Amino acid sequence: MTETENLVRRLPNDIGGLPADPIRRVDHELEPWEKRCHALADVLDFHKLISTEEKRCGVEALGAELVGSLTYYERWIVAFANILFRKGILTPEDLARKMEQVETRWSPESAPESTPQG
Amino acid sequence: MTQPAHGHDDDHEHGPEHSLAEIGQAGGPGYYDIMETALRELLIERQLIGPDEIRRQIEVLDSRTPALGAKVVARAWVDPGFRTRLLANGRAACEELGISFYDDTALIVIENTDAVHNLIVCTLCSCYPRPVLGLPPDWYKLKPYRARAVSEPRAVLAEFGTIIPDDIEVRVHDSTAMVRYLVLPKRPAGTEGYSEEQLAALVTRDTMIGVVPVTLDTGRTTP
Repeated sequence: MTETENLVRRLPNDIGGLPADPIRRVDHELEPWEKRCHALADVLDFHKLISTEEKRCGVEALGAELVGSLTYYERWIVAFANILFRKGILTPEDLARKMEQVETRWSPESAPESTPQG
Repeated sequence: MTQPAHGHDDDHEHGPEHSLAEIGQAGGPGYYDIMETALRELLIERQLIGPDEIRRQIEVLDSRTPALGAKVVARAWVDPGFRTRLLANGRAACEELGISFYDDTALIVIENTDAVHNLIVCTLCSCYPRPVLGLPPDWYKLKPYRARAVSEPRAVLAEFGTIIPDDIEVRVHDSTAMVRYLVLPKRPAGTEGYSEEQLAALVTRDTMIGVVPVTLDTGRTTP
């Protein structure tokens, strides 16, 4: 079977039953942003903005290359953004502008007292 | 763990000799961290979610640990009526013990017996009985466990040091967004005189995923 046939037959999440490496019993303490991302997933579900199943499909829709290169919570946050764009709740420009704002807040040039307020 | 310094293109002006890890820590959050903050703030500004909801949900997540599942298991071992109710409706029985379900998921509790050993997995992603066990370990979310648990569960179990004799059936339960599973492990021999609390202290996360049995020497430290 060719490489592309495999990509078509199995979406990136659909790995049950495939051959794989031995189990390594790895774990890590969540980064603060990862924990916030998990809480965000729950809150989006509570408000029916993005259900757990929509989140899973959103990760699937990232495609094999992104799924293969992003970490677990990186996939989630990118999927949330895409789903909110698709639903018309946010636009890519909204997010880009806000991310710029957040980054500016952290840059060494912005003194703590000049934190933007409204 | 430090994020790799994503896209810190402007760092060149501070000199090339800084270690990336140092810049990552001192220079603020990474790209995905910024994306998370930006999304959250946009949703709050537009009043789609409340300003305190994320913080409150983090507190809920932090309050869920395998100690809750262990309490459920120990109660089922000492109280046959509870055990029956637990196997009939996992969620209702957990709620009876004051364990709330913060999501819409059903919980099916499956019992290990002399004839059947059960194992839980989520082949598609990482569904897990979070209200009673907390968040899953990384290995549960990674490809080797998800891929192989359904096709060669005995080999997977052996990698956890668990050898299931051939005359015992192995059943693998694949979780979904709506239906989660919890293994009710076998009560170990030699615990006849144990109190409910002493029993609960023997029950670890991995015994309720089904990858190891409960033994007298691998329990958590008694609180």
